[in-house]
This record gives sequence, C-alpha cells and structure tokens, in this order.
Amino acid sequence: MSEPNGLLVNGCTNCHSRYLPRPGRCPRCGSDRVSPLRIPARATVLAATELSVAPAGFATPHRLALLEASDGVRILAVARGPLPALGSVVNVMRDADVYLVVDEGTPVASPKPP
Amino acid sequence: MPVHVSAAVAGRVGRRPEGLIDLLVEVGDRALDLAGRKPVDLLLVGAMAAGALGETENLVPQLADRLNLEGASGVRVDAASASGAAVFHTAVQELAAGRAVRALVLAGEKMTSQPVAEVTRVLARSLAPSEQAAGASMPALAALVAQRYTSRFGSDPAAFDAVTVQFRRSAQGNPNAQFPTPVSREEVASSRVIASPLRLLHCSAISDGAAAVVLERGTGPATVLGIGQGLDALALVDRTELTSFKASRTAAQRAYEDAHLTRKEVDFAELHDAFAPFALVDLEDMGFCGAGEAAAWFLDGSTGPDGRFPVNPSGGLLGRGHPVGASGLLQLVEVARQLRGESGSLALPRPPKIGLAQSIGGLGTHVFVTLLGAGSGEVAG
Ligand SMILES: [Zn+2]
Repeated sequence: MSEPNGLLVNGCTNCHSRYLPRPGRCPRCGSDRVSPLRIPARATVLAATELSVAPAGFATPHRLALLEASDGVRILAVARGPLPALGSVVNVMRDADVYLVVDEGTPVASPKPP
Repeated sequence: MPVHVSAAVAGRVGRRPEGLIDLLVEVGDRALDLAGRKPVDLLLVGAMAAGALGETENLVPQLADRLNLEGASGVRVDAASASGAAVFHTAVQELAAGRAVRALVLAGEKMTSQPVAEVTRVLARSLAPSEQAAGASMPALAALVAQRYTSRFGSDPAAFDAVTVQFRRSAQGNPNAQFPTPVSREEVASSRVIASPLRLLHCSAISDGAAAVVLERGTGPATVLGIGQGLDALALVDRTELTSFKASRTAAQRAYEDAHLTRKEVDFAELHDAFAPFALVDLEDMGFCGAGEAAAWFLDGSTGPDGRFPVNPSGGLLGRGHPVGASGLLQLVEVARQLRGESGSLALPRPPKIGLAQSIGGLGTHVFVTLLGAGSGEVAG
C-alpha cells in the first residue's frame, strides 16, 4: 500500500526546492511562486526512534522516522509497525495531517542499540 | 555603555513544594540583598510555561508586589527553554541603551505539579505544528539528531554516556543541583530507553527552579562582553543541517562579533545539554572544536573541570536539573559566579577570565549566546 499517484509536495519555481505542503511562501527563499507537484511515495530512513514516553494523547510505544524522499524532501512520519532500519527504503502515505510509514519494501530490523 | 552582573543567585533545583512566584521571590530577595538593596528601576521576568505548568500569570506585578518594586518598570520575556537567557539579554539591551540604571532579572519554572505526559505535551508545543501532529516530543527529535550525528561522524555512542558521567560528577559540588550523585557509564548505558537511542540518564529532568541576577551599568569581574542570538527553521525537516544547530552558530558568531573576541579567548562554557548529544553539537557549534570532534573531547576528559576546555563545571542541565525557563539564567549565574570568585567548591582550578553561556529555545530554533568577563566591555546590544 502506498500513495498510487505519489506524494503531493510544494515545488518552488524560484529556488527549485521541494518540501511538504505548508501555508505561505517557500521556506528556503521566501518566494511566493510555489506550485503543487507529485513525487514518488518512497523514502529512505535517515533516523528512527521509539518513544517510551509520548505526549499526552499518543499511545506508547510511539515510533517516528525521519525520511528523505526524492528531491531532498524530508518527512517526519509515524511508523505504526516495527521501527524501520536506518538506510532502508519505505513507502509513505498521507493520512489527514500525518504521514505514515506504510510498509517495508526492504528488510526491517530494529536499529542497533547505542 | 557597559553592563555588569553585580549579584547572581541560583535557587535549589529539583522537586520543590513552592509555587512559581515563591520560587522567584526567594532568589529575587537574595539578589537584592547581595546588591545592597540599591534601587532597582527595571524588573524583568523569564518563564516558558508559567500558565500551563506553573498555573500563574501576570508575573511582573505579582513579583513587584512581593519584592516591593512597584516603582520599577518591567515585562515578562519568553523564548521557550531559552527564556532565562532571553530575559538577561533584554535587560542588557535596556541598560546599555540607557533606559534603566539597575535591573533585577528573574527566571523560573514550576514543572513538577503536572503529570509527565502533560509536561511532555506542553513542552512539545514549542515544536512545529506538523511535528506535534505526528506525536513528536523534544526527546524524540533529539534522538533523531543524535542518530544522525552518530551515523555522519561514525562517533562512539559511548560519548553520550561520557557526557552524563562528567556532568553528574561536576554536579556533586553544586549545592543547588537536583542530581548531586555520580553515575557510571554502565548505569547511563543501562538506564531505560526514553526515545531510542536516548536513555533516561541522557535526558534532562523535569524540575522546579529559579535564578536571579542584578545587572547594572558599569564594569566588574562579570561584565557583559557580548550577546548574540539566532533563529532557525521551526521544523526539523526544513533544516539544511541535522547534526548542528544553525541558530547556535549564528548566535555565537554574533556574540563573538559583539564582544570583539574569538573563541580562543574563552576559558570555559556553560552549554545547553538538555540531552547528552546536545553537549557535543553545542561544543562544535560554539566553535570550540571541529564538526565531529566533540565526542573525543568528552571521552578523553578535555571538557572536565581540569581539562583543556572546561564545559559545564556546574553540572549542566543534566546534573543541575532543567527548569526550562530558568536554565538560561542559571547558566549565566554559574558563569558570573566563576568570574566573581564565588563558586566555592565548583571553582575551576585555573581561574577563568572569560566565560560563555549558550541557551537553546525549542529544538535548536532560538539560541542565545552570552560572553561575560572582566573588563570594560562595550555592548552594542
Ligand atoms: Zn524557494
């Protein structure tokens, strides 16, 4: 399961940076020449953490992954399954205002202990 | 116009029975005594979550009432977990501009009357809306930064343990510290996981506490030599760097320029170690060592009280405790007291001439750097 048509992102026509949709001007250069486009809904895991203490309203353990999709788009995503391994490639989908790691295309393991 | 610290008081940090106002009054009263009860015309207060965690508001009139300072002017200053440094900077700017003669600067936080999950949620309000929606917390994002740091530099993760061990050892000599007992690397490495790879003893605690300084025009052993602050993108995903805080580098550069100093002239620092890995990032961001080099410094003792560059001789946030809005001012109290020769058993073996304090608001989004030292500092403000 993934976003069949890709992830919706903002593209800046001035500095060419791409980032998750957010209100306002380009966060990198301040341009208002921003237009929506889609990128593949796959991303590499830069870091991932499992929380034993989460903000009130979130069940524990709560897992978060910092992902990098194409064109340098970074995503903070919730991992409802096992914690994805650093460097692995995962699928991402958007669910309301949250991004989810939805499956693991490559082998998954817990990150090495510190 | 130069400005100097003429009195510096740290309150005891930990689980305190008093409310926020009482914590602030205690340190304020002592600071006014130390300053000889000379007239104060500016009363500034720093706090991050006085309402949400401390259950009080309208701080300046409440404190003026208790401290008999109704003749002064004042405001509350907020910069999240850097509020204590932000309020100090605001006072310096007012005095340097000639708009006041003598300021009482207070900062405090009351955190322990709320459940941990509620404190975690309130602190997470500093984060970007997208991060809050994902259930991120300060430890969670600090854990992601720590992982990036370890992967990028291939550093020994035991360096994080060494940070806690060093600061807890230093805190033994600090009568105000929440954690005056030493811990071993094994104890740190086996404490329970909070946000992998960060464990309980890598994370600063939930604490009550307050600090006070009197700032006045003129020079002394703890003259303000320079101040600087910096901002960065709110969300971690919008940062260009994940293993360094741009706001810290900007703040340091501005403070060094303001003071006409370089990092080489600084003798010691109080850095914002809300999480053990931050001590490494901070040391690099302040320019004291190169990117990726800080792990070795903490592992080989270079940052100990008798090392080549002492860091957090007070015990830092990890040893002293982290009453969020107070920590920035608690750091400045420690730096001023070292310079004024008032540190008692915490005094550095080589008496320092210039000290740096760095305070981080949010997850590296708003940073304040202050340089204090003997001399005739001219603060541009
Ligand atoms: Zn742009």
